[in-house]
Amino acid sequence: MASSQPFPSAPPRPQPGFSPSPNPNPSSTADALQTLQIGRAPPPSAAPRAASIPFSSPASRFGLSRPGPPPFASRPPTTSAPITSNGPPAFGLGASRFPPPPPVAQRPPLAGSPASIRASPQAQVSRPFTGSSPSVPPPSSQPFMGSPPSSQPFMGSPPSSQPFMGSPPSSQPYMNPPPSSQAFMGPPSSRPFAGPPSSQPFAGPPSSKPFGAPPSSQPFGGPPSSQPFGGRPSSQPFMSPTMPFPGTPASSLPFGTPSWQFQTQQGAPPMPGTMQAPPRMFGMPPNMSGQPMAPFPPVTGHSPLAGHQVSTQSKIDPNQIPRPVPSTSPTLFETRQGNQANIPPPATSDFIVKDNGNCSPRLMRCTMNQIPCTGDLLSTSSMPLALMVQPFVLPHPSEEPIQVVDFGESGPLRCSRCKGYMNPFMRFVDQGRQFICNLCGFMNETPRDYYCNLGPDGRRRDVDERPELCRGTVEFVATKEYMVRDPMPAVFFFIIDVSMNAIQTGATAAACTAINQALADLPEGPRTMVGIATFNSSIHFYNLKRASQQPLMLIVPDIQDVYTPLHTDLIVQLTECRQNLEQLLDSIPNMFENNRVAESAFGAALKAAFLAMKPTGGKLLVFQSVLPSVGIGSLYSREAEGRTNVSSGDKEAHKLLQPADKTLKTMAIEFAEYQVCVDIFLTTQMFVDIASLSVIPRTTGGQVYYYYPFSVISDPAKLYNDLRWNISRPQGFEAVMRVRCSQGLQVQGYSGNFCKRIPTDIDLPAIDCDKTIMVTFKHDDKFQEGSECAFQCALLYTTEYGQRRIRIINLSLPCTSMLSNLFRSADLDTQFTCFLKQAANGIPASPLSEVREQITNLCINILHSYRKFCATASSSGQLILPEALKLLPLYTLALVKSIGLRNDGRLDDRSYWVSRSASLSIPMAFPLVYPRMISIHDLASKEDDGSLLSATIPLSSEHINDDGIYLLENGEDGLIYVGNMVNPDTLQQLFGVSSVDGIPTQLVLQQFDNDLSKKLNDVVNETRRQRCSYLRLRLCRKGDPSGLFFLSYLVEDKIPGGLSYVEFLVHVHRQIQTKMA
Amino acid sequence: MAADLAGGGGAGAAVADPDGPDGVRMTWNAWPRSKVEASKCVIPVAACIAPIRASPSLLVLPYAPLRCKPPCAAVLNPFARVDFAAKIWICPICFSRNHFPPHYAAISETNVPGEFYPQCTTVEYAPPSLDASAAAAAAAAVPAPIFLFVLDTCLIEEELGFVKSAMRRALGLLPDHALVGLVTFGTQVHLHELGFSDLSKIYVFRGTKEISKEQILDQLGLSSAGIRPGAAGAAGYPKAGPQANGLHPSGSVNRFLLPASDCEYTLNALLDELQTDQWPVEAGNRPRRCTGVALSVAAGLLGACMPGTGARIIALVGGPCTEGPGMIVSKDLSEPVRSHKDLDKDAAPHFHKAVKFYDNLAKQLVNQGHVLDLFASALDQVGVAEMKVAVERTGGLVVLAESFGHPVFKDSFKRIFEDGEQSLGLSFNYQNPEGQMRLRVTTITRRWLDGSANTEELVEGFDQETAAVVLARYISLKMEMEEEFDATRWLDRSLIRLCSRFGDYRKDDPASFTLHPNFSIFPQFMFNLRRSQFVQVFNNSPDETAYFRMLLNRESITNSVVMIQPSLLSYSFNSPPAPALLDVASISADRILLLDAYFSVVIFHGMTIAQWRNMGYQNQPEHQARFLLAKLNPSATYNSAHEVAPGSDVIFTDDVSLQVFCEHLQRLAVQS
Repeated sequence: MASSQPFPSAPPRPQPGFSPSPNPNPSSTADALQTLQIGRAPPPSAAPRAASIPFSSPASRFGLSRPGPPPFASRPPTTSAPITSNGPPAFGLGASRFPPPPPVAQRPPLAGSPASIRASPQAQVSRPFTGSSPSVPPPSSQPFMGSPPSSQPFMGSPPSSQPFMGSPPSSQPYMNPPPSSQAFMGPPSSRPFAGPPSSQPFAGPPSSKPFGAPPSSQPFGGPPSSQPFGGRPSSQPFMSPTMPFPGTPASSLPFGTPSWQFQTQQGAPPMPGTMQAPPRMFGMPPNMSGQPMAPFPPVTGHSPLAGHQVSTQSKIDPNQIPRPVPSTSPTLFETRQGNQANIPPPATSDFIVKDNGNCSPRLMRCTMNQIPCTGDLLSTSSMPLALMVQPFVLPHPSEEPIQVVDFGESGPLRCSRCKGYMNPFMRFVDQGRQFICNLCGFMNETPRDYYCNLGPDGRRRDVDERPELCRGTVEFVATKEYMVRDPMPAVFFFIIDVSMNAIQTGATAAACTAINQALADLPEGPRTMVGIATFNSSIHFYNLKRASQQPLMLIVPDIQDVYTPLHTDLIVQLTECRQNLEQLLDSIPNMFENNRVAESAFGAALKAAFLAMKPTGGKLLVFQSVLPSVGIGSLYSREAEGRTNVSSGDKEAHKLLQPADKTLKTMAIEFAEYQVCVDIFLTTQMFVDIASLSVIPRTTGGQVYYYYPFSVISDPAKLYNDLRWNISRPQGFEAVMRVRCSQGLQVQGYSGNFCKRIPTDIDLPAIDCDKTIMVTFKHDDKFQEGSECAFQCALLYTTEYGQRRIRIINLSLPCTSMLSNLFRSADLDTQFTCFLKQAANGIPASPLSEVREQITNLCINILHSYRKFCATASSSGQLILPEALKLLPLYTLALVKSIGLRNDGRLDDRSYWVSRSASLSIPMAFPLVYPRMISIHDLASKEDDGSLLSATIPLSSEHINDDGIYLLENGEDGLIYVGNMVNPDTLQQLFGVSSVDGIPTQLVLQQFDNDLSKKLNDVVNETRRQRCSYLRLRLCRKGDPSGLFFLSYLVEDKIPGGLSYVEFLVHVHRQIQTKMA
Repeated sequence: MAADLAGGGGAGAAVADPDGPDGVRMTWNAWPRSKVEASKCVIPVAACIAPIRASPSLLVLPYAPLRCKPPCAAVLNPFARVDFAAKIWICPICFSRNHFPPHYAAISETNVPGEFYPQCTTVEYAPPSLDASAAAAAAAAVPAPIFLFVLDTCLIEEELGFVKSAMRRALGLLPDHALVGLVTFGTQVHLHELGFSDLSKIYVFRGTKEISKEQILDQLGLSSAGIRPGAAGAAGYPKAGPQANGLHPSGSVNRFLLPASDCEYTLNALLDELQTDQWPVEAGNRPRRCTGVALSVAAGLLGACMPGTGARIIALVGGPCTEGPGMIVSKDLSEPVRSHKDLDKDAAPHFHKAVKFYDNLAKQLVNQGHVLDLFASALDQVGVAEMKVAVERTGGLVVLAESFGHPVFKDSFKRIFEDGEQSLGLSFNYQNPEGQMRLRVTTITRRWLDGSANTEELVEGFDQETAAVVLARYISLKMEMEEEFDATRWLDRSLIRLCSRFGDYRKDDPASFTLHPNFSIFPQFMFNLRRSQFVQVFNNSPDETAYFRMLLNRESITNSVVMIQPSLLSYSFNSPPAPALLDVASISADRILLLDAYFSVVIFHGMTIAQWRNMGYQNQPEHQARFLLAKLNPSATYNSAHEVAPGSDVIFTDDVSLQVFCEHLQRLAVQS
């Protein structure tokens, strides 16, 4: 994860639908794709692009789908033509997703071997990023310590990567049409969401080209029309800088080569012993297949390499210390084999799950893959015991959809004591007449119509026919018992700030445009209802249901005690009011053009809209541009207060990160009670007190979007894409979630964006594919060695189409009393995400220095426990890292230096970071803390095989050259750093200007007619696709504040008051030694 | 009685004006000199004046009045003594000596200004500008009259249709420059912004919450810009003219009040679209109607106008206020609207709160100089009793009808806006209908009586009609203000005292009792007053009572007397129309009786005539007989049925007849 997804993850991510880019209505295209694909067998040749095929013809339809060119289109200055070209690339990205399927099929072996899975991290370590010649095969050189053996495993294989790359097999994955295409289908029709995925960016696969070539770009390129991105203006935004370096291949090469090369190499060489042999594991690196702890090479590698003397830094080769290694090719992961849970691959890698009884790790994953038998053992390990649950996570396109089971009127079968739902781990006994609950141990009678004989293996004979008995994840159709009312309609209520500032900065116009465009992505049908209001110092509702007349504006002027101005007609079926609504959205910016009211009654507007939505519930989308200054829940500029009261010092500083008062929290709880979910889009240029505002989305299952400083040039595209994804992504409404676990454990707490009114359940007015909930556990009893501990998450929700469902997610893990097993099965991804969330929760509550210390201590304590109890053999002078956690120090360091934990951040930036972390998924947690950086100037020299993004650069200024251009992205922002010696030709190619100073800071990336520019656009679009987020691009120049801002992301550097990576390792080592002594 | 009717001017407009050119009538036209003497008069010394009654002979003076020195400040009048040589006048009120200002220098015995003409006891000043602060602007911009309609939408479709058409007609009648605003209300209050062209725009106020003028202005964005006396006198005046059409400064009240000519189309479109209140009404409940808040909003909005701008709030109300301030009954239909009995027993939980609310509203309107007119059209009560104070204090009109489709409403409403001879001459405070500011001054004088001996002079100066009306007004007030007040008893005692004081009789000899002609009808007035709707309130709803009393307080003496004692005209084939005795004996088979009780006119057909009518001549409802019978003197009741002449009628009542009443009066008056 560290590297975070660079490689593997990228492709794997299923996110089908989302095309972050500008596409206006990808959905239509996407839909088209799906259908087409479905209908026809995957064109083999097409391979990955299979999907694209359909389009070829569709090009025309493309046009149809999007009525007008995206609004943005116009903005981007660049000619449209270029754009289109971009478009394709974007898809290209999409293409990448496909790839996985085939490989899987072919290489089943990999999947099979559990060991292989985990390995990935190690491999990375070995990578030679440094300037060292990439091409250089000799692994030996790389070793950190210089100790050959250690290094070997990873390093071992020289970067012969190319071979692989070049090798057809790799490409095949993509190619494999059939599977892949299905993949797209992604959301199986059966699924509730099926609809949404449609948004998929892929739409335009290059029909003609096979992957072999530079698939990514081409594939899509082909059918330009289809391209979601291309078409839109958004594409324009991204200009790509070009070539400074064309010439310098050497340095670039390393990266240039497909990322996995490294991996492969690593895998191959080191692995010999291990089963994994399969050359191309996805990310699986090295593998220590057998032994989790496997020795890692360099410092980190636990035993072998590890030993670098703390004291002597000199021994540490910065290029050899553990770093994340991305992987590109997908693996197949079977959740269970031989009645045992397999250890899941890294969350950021690319994998395809086969659900054999345990759920996909995407849906639910534990901090450790074996459960300690006792609480003592757990506390000895110092590791957290928690689940990350992402119930609506996008599946990999190649995965089997979640099956829906209808038990008819009787409803799903449940344990009569603990109410746990039937799952593959309930044991049928007494010829099947009874079953024992795997959660509470209760013996239940089998209902007559559910009775089935047991086979000779002691299992029911019908196991394979019943999804609830053979799948870890299944969905039950809910009966009336699960409804307190009819399932709610899909209600979307937009409220827009029209105060003077919002109008003048263009935020209002941007919001109106975004909504107008996004209407096309709302679920179709009579159940979709919309409403709209604007506000400044009063609240303006609109009656949209006036067939003949223009809309009626209803003003609620009392912002201390608000009310809804109409009983009906404020929220209307989309089909009934679409035209009125579109006209209204067009005219709102003009209507308030001369508005001189600077005040903003945010809280009152929210409350008023809520009152209108109260009967149904639904999603409330708020576009806010200034600090709420009047009416209910008004705030004041605490930031200024914080600045002037410097004397009060840091001691109280964290209080400014707490909500100013309880008003908004009280409101939020009421919202949640009536199933209203609030998302806030902050298009602002000032302090808006996110600490206070974020309470509302956080309590109602929504989220904060932050555009600071809002720029009318570069932000509308992101605003639109964020909104579009927000309403079109898979999601559920009026949800209730509970996690049950086997006796011996109990739920300690939930963390995420929800409202909790009773101890056992959490209420989610809305839940979507991006939201993750952390559930922590504690022991209340012991487990028997060899028994299994089960976790079952039950989520009752309403689909956008009005069906009530219960999604059941099961995970059953073995229990162990061996500490070494715990470390071997530790899941770094989940643990780190857990730390991130703990830190985020702690920031408003304690002084920053304390939070940083706590986080550092978490890391030290774990490593100390390992050193003390599991690594007896090693010498005292060595820092020994458990294989599974060898990147923990790096991520801990990065976390400590992240925006949320830095002293120098703006209040709002930190509050936003905190708010974002609360619901963040595992794959997105990593880039937030340890962004991905790649070089751009040399893109043209890299092989364009869809893996451009995997050539990441460590976040250290040593890797930044004055003649280079770099892209650093954290899942939300993209910083393009331009050195001061960049070749003007490169600049010309990428940005259309020949001098650094000529590039506007508010960057709108354009695509020019040259390879470098195309590739940059490809890279950006692929990143957008992977992150389901449209990057905010910002230009950073060496030598000015923006350059310093960029450098602040280089977490491995030493900074004032912060250690470098190497120093941090030394620090950790010292601390451990002190504890040992 | 017949004589009285003729003399009192029952039909009086055509006859000589009993009120004289000044429009003043007094109970006593010669005044006792001392307080003690006055109290012995029983009937208080009182004057009734119709301050702005139109008069063809009215003298209008185009300059500012000359006033006595403060604190008197009385205006120069024909009764002032003048020293032409010294150029000094002596105020007849306070006897201060005042010098004439320089511009009166030309004054002399032969050259006096209009206010000195002896016949001009009432004059009107129309100076170029009365208000110094507005002096500059006033000449240029005469503020246009403002009509702010407040329309109830908690109506059935049919009623709403009636109101709409009444509104449309009214809009068509308004002068072009008059400013018009519209508030509609039901569960909530909708203030329509008429000057916004992009789309229809409505400010919505919640119906349940009392809201102050400041809050309203604040919420409408009118608080800062509205009333700054310094900044251009006209700033606060809604201006007619081009400015109202174009861009409105957001702080201007012009967004809501537009010249009729500019917004007629908008308003008509708005009326076309206007729906009945869409909030659901639960079964067993009344609709939620927030009349109180609606009127607050209207008054608050007008607060943004310059004080003194002539404005009327024209409230069209179709039911009781059930929510928020001014609520008179809860939503629950099982709770009946308060009756007199409830009020009497203090069992009307909302009454006092509502009255207090309207009392405050009245103060606000009075301060602003604005008028509240109330058109209540409903079968049930709408709260006129509570709103009375606001209508009365602002000089507003009130019309009570059963339906907006009823002619009483339709015709009354139309009359308000109509121009021409029958024009009601709606006035806006001291601003006349043309928009000018006027000051009318009436000065009267009466004789003092010397000592107590001059009973005869006193009696000569008695005006029994005025006295009856004054007592009626006085007793109405006492009934409203004093708990446990026994009106009948109080009236009886007053009448007995009066008769004892001014009757001619020998002690303890009822038969010797006679009254001076100036008093002769007074007992009869009292007899009828005791039986009238003003005293016998239990026959009516509090709303009706309030309505009657408001009119009693507003109408001329002549009209008021009819309210107390209706006039009865008899029509038959044998004789010309003639006044008939207000006695059941007047009913006979071949007569048609026309009863003018002011609030209603009843035509009663004798038995024979009724038969003709039954053949379909017309459709007068039979039940109105009951009304007539209630007004007639029960000289024949079921108790005396055997004495009744054939063809006449009897009244089923326990009330005594006038004869019996007078007999008792005589007996009591002569008691020592």
